[in-house]
Amino acid sequence: MITWLITVKEIKQHFRDFRTFIFLLGFPIVLMLILGITLTNAFSSEMQLNDIKVLVRDSSSAGLSEAFKAFEKELGATGIAFEQLKPGEDGRKAIEDNRYTAYVEVSDAGMSQYGSSRSAIESNIVQGMLSTFADKYNAAAAVTRDGDPSKAELVFANAGSGDYVKELSIAADRSPGSMDYYAMAMTVMVGLWGAMSVGGLIRSEIVRGTGIRLLSAPIRRGEIYVGKVLGNVVANTLCILAIVFFSKWVFNAYWGAHLPVVFAVLVSEVIMATSFGIAANELVKGGGGRALVMLVVQLTSFIGGAYFPVDDSGVMGLVSWLSPIRWGNEALTNIVYGCNLAAAWPAIGLYLGAALLLLLATASMRRNKEGF
Amino acid sequence: MNVLDIRGLTKKFGDFVAVDNISFKVGEGEIFGFLGANGAGKSTTINMICSLLQPSGGEIRILDRDIKTQSRFAKQSLGIVPQDLAIYEDMTAYENVSFFAGLYGLRGGQLKERTEEALAFVGLGDKAKSFPKTFSGGMKRRLNIACAIAHKPKLIIMDEPTVGIDPQSRNYILASVRKLNESGCTIIYTSHYMEEVEEICSRIAIVDHGKIIAEGTKEQLTATVTDVKDIVIELKTATGGEAERLTGLPGVRKASQEENVIRIHSDASVDNLNRILKRLMEGDSEIRAVEEREPNLEMVFLTLTGRNLRD
Ligand SMILES: Nc1ncnc2c1ncn2[C@@H]1O[C@H](COP(=O)(O)OP(=O)(O)OP(=O)(O)O)[C@@H](O)[C@H]1O
Ligand SMILES: [Mg+2]
Repeated sequence: MITWLITVKEIKQHFRDFRTFIFLLGFPIVLMLILGITLTNAFSSEMQLNDIKVLVRDSSSAGLSEAFKAFEKELGATGIAFEQLKPGEDGRKAIEDNRYTAYVEVSDAGMSQYGSSRSAIESNIVQGMLSTFADKYNAAAAVTRDGDPSKAELVFANAGSGDYVKELSIAADRSPGSMDYYAMAMTVMVGLWGAMSVGGLIRSEIVRGTGIRLLSAPIRRGEIYVGKVLGNVVANTLCILAIVFFSKWVFNAYWGAHLPVVFAVLVSEVIMATSFGIAANELVKGGGGRALVMLVVQLTSFIGGAYFPVDDSGVMGLVSWLSPIRWGNEALTNIVYGCNLAAAWPAIGLYLGAALLLLLATASMRRNKEGF
Repeated sequence: MNVLDIRGLTKKFGDFVAVDNISFKVGEGEIFGFLGANGAGKSTTINMICSLLQPSGGEIRILDRDIKTQSRFAKQSLGIVPQDLAIYEDMTAYENVSFFAGLYGLRGGQLKERTEEALAFVGLGDKAKSFPKTFSGGMKRRLNIACAIAHKPKLIIMDEPTVGIDPQSRNYILASVRKLNESGCTIIYTSHYMEEVEEICSRIAIVDHGKIIAEGTKEQLTATVTDVKDIVIELKTATGGEAERLTGLPGVRKASQEENVIRIHSDASVDNLNRILKRLMEGDSEIRAVEEREPNLEMVFLTLTGRNLRD
């Protein structure tokens, strides 16, 4: 109950200052607009899908093998290249070396795919097509079992490349445009701003002079702390919701079909950002904490691709993974464009793990400490 | 029953002893004055009573219960008016009082009622919806008090509630303190304005360098100064440095000057007024008024420490 009082107070104060409010919402939206429009051209060439090259090891018996050959041929027409595994070649190694987008093993027991994590979107596309193929093959097999092989022919005959490509188009048509990219990148960046709006667990209250009242009231420290964290998380989540829906409805940015999962990633990011803000303000005395937060937020925004997409190949590509912005961008890209919901887990895990570490460190530092 | 009972309280900051083994008791219904110069250790003592600082030694009991073992009870019984304003500038007067009262467990209709009551009590009833940033210094001080009283604490601790405000607001606050006391609150009133303390406190402790150097009613304290007198001389114009010329005259212990008013702390037994006036007139000072003061707390302080309260 006390926690709730403090949470509500925090949210109120968060939105009370009109200038802060305008900055919180206006800045990312304006930036989205400017970057999204001015960089349209530079962008589309950069973000095009890489060529899709699939490595295949087919050890299946005649029926499946033939069907798969047909499937390869259909898709070959769309520009996807299939290559057969050479004897002695290690398919998974080839993926690790990033020579192919995906490696597919076809046997009578089924099909398995190894996707390259470095071209996640493309390998998701391959996965989508494979599952369509599997569905169709199973359907055909069922028909065949019913005793009329000619009908099986029919099933495949109808399966023109368009059928597979339709699956593919969920992703391919939606390779992110510049507005889509910046809507996402700005939102992930605003998530990190949660670090700037929190003034420590109690430090900002002490600076304001009100800490003395909170600490002398008959409440537990934990109630204050949890209230502070919750308040900041809720307030920042509201901002993010506003930005997502604004970009979706006004700028027509694409947010995919799994908004709840998108928000789950963003909320975990806000939790991490909040914990970081708290840790910095509690552990670095004076104004140093705020400065540190500003610096880290700006730096990670920059290297993590908030202002321009990271080129994956170079050193900057590697460095970008140090930025929590990159984790979020990557996860959201996969969720929104690859419909790969599992991509949420690594990001959520990283965010919440980091949050836990930061909060534990802060709590242990504050323990047994006097009010000031 | 003692509302507050402090025994052997000590606080060290590193090697520096800010509060040095002090003991005192405050009974129910008292307005207890805590008088001391800047840095005497008043706020440090109060911060320990509010569990903001942990004592380096000693014991604090509120309503006969140890605050270490029953801190929740102690905190619930306390209302604190901090020396530095403790209000949210970005929340209305009403929201401020209501939030802090909420921390003490007030809810719903009772919370609303008590919040309004507290605001009306400090004369901010019509400012409930205004933000403190639009308030004068005196109004902020009054809001600072309202935030401490809505939960009707048994003991209210006021740490210099009148610093830096106009005389009108000060009188208002002093009157409020008396009214609170009449309604049954015990009050600890900290100040370095001896006039205030003399005016409202039933008992006074004088602190200096972390120690209580005298304690008692105003009469008891002033009765201890029988051997000194204070002479206050008002000049028409002052060039500065007049007071210095008086040092060394027989009986003069200390002479200090604020603009054109000179205060001389002197042995009561030496008849030196003529000599003092003569010395001033030799220096071409024109005298407007001369007054010999009744013994007061300022004199007590000066006698005990050799310094003025506000030096
Ligand atoms: N956290 C601290 N660390 C070190 N020294 C401190 C700390 N807090 C207070 N002090 C010192 O302890 C002494 C007493 O300070 P305190 O604030 O209690 O004085 P005070 O009587 O309230 O004075 P004032 O009238 O200026 O408010 C001062 O010399 C102060 O510098
Ligand atoms: Mg003080």
